[in-house]
Amino acid sequence: MSDNALTMEISSEWGGAEIAVLKVSGFLDFSGIAMLSRFFDKIAAGNWSYIVVDLAELEAICSAALGEFMGYRKRFVERGGSLVFAGLSGNIRSKLTLLGANKIFSFYQDVRSAINAYKWDYKKQSKSVAISFPAHLALVPPVRQFASRLVRQKGYSVKDAFRVETIVDEVCNNAVEHGIDEPGSAVDVRIAVDKEKIDITVSNKSAPDKVAVLRELTKPQAQGSNHVGTNDKRGRGLALIRMLSNDMDVNITEHGTTVHVTKLREE
Amino acid sequence: METQIQITCEEIAGKANARIVRFVGDLDATNVDYVTEQITNYFGDGLVKIVADFKQLRYVNSTGLGVLLHFNKSAKERGGCFKITNLNENVYEIIEIIGAASLLDIYDEISEAIAALD
Repeated sequence: MSDNALTMEISSEWGGAEIAVLKVSGFLDFSGIAMLSRFFDKIAAGNWSYIVVDLAELEAICSAALGEFMGYRKRFVERGGSLVFAGLSGNIRSKLTLLGANKIFSFYQDVRSAINAYKWDYKKQSKSVAISFPAHLALVPPVRQFASRLVRQKGYSVKDAFRVETIVDEVCNNAVEHGIDEPGSAVDVRIAVDKEKIDITVSNKSAPDKVAVLRELTKPQAQGSNHVGTNDKRGRGLALIRMLSNDMDVNITEHGTTVHVTKLREE
Repeated sequence: METQIQITCEEIAGKANARIVRFVGDLDATNVDYVTEQITNYFGDGLVKIVADFKQLRYVNSTGLGVLLHFNKSAKERGGCFKITNLNENVYEIIEIIGAASLLDIYDEISEAIAALD
């Protein structure tokens, strides 16, 4: 057997019952289409709906084989799944792009990226991150910048990321300002990002005797939205959060304050 | 630990009591005191006409916006002005969404702001 002989292998260890990875190595020319057909028969029998074709060790591919992949992809899409390519070398990517495959198939850097995309696009899974930091103002900027990078990493626009950065900044600043500044007190931030929205939850301890004051401060009518004066340097944070977000809920108890903000994807 | 912001000052030819003040970085709750001190010092030195160049100001939050409104008011009380130029799209959105765009003197270009100095 030569080094570039065609080999195929099915693996389901990456994604369990729904995802199959078909690794295709060597030269996939017209003579390999029968083998491809046999492997796709096995995949069809396995009831997998999302197929990642790992091309990391593919040396060459002919247009007829690409046509076969198009046919298989159509079948999986009709069943509510998909077929994508992963691990393409520069040469294979160029060849497939030249044949127009990039307009039909999604290309991913590697199998893991393809599976992450599946979980994100098809399963609507969210990425959730929890951060806890001492109630000091100086620690807010890295938290807000982290939130911005997180949503950018998940494909949100620069503008959406900036808005999330602002929301996290304002909520955390309020938590630090109105929370208890004592050893062991912390601001807890949880950011959950899915394909359509970002949920931000910030909790902090506050003094029981401040409950009434905080409730008054957080009333929408107390925040003076669209009535900005030039005298006060502070007090616009909550109004800004309300205007940048799609939903906001403030829960103040004797144990502390929890602010929950939802920001929908806009761009 | 403050968020990094740099402020530099540059003379404007023929305008003795005016300066271009360039902001580089983020303006937020961690550094408003430093920025307030710097601008207040300029006012104290008689430099009451400020053209604030925000070309490299990446971020402003509500606290930063509060001090910008304060500078605008303080400058006018001293017979001067605090003109803002070169806002990036995101910072402008924050200013606009809070309703402060009409309260601040905002210009697209530094040259326009300088031309508008009395």
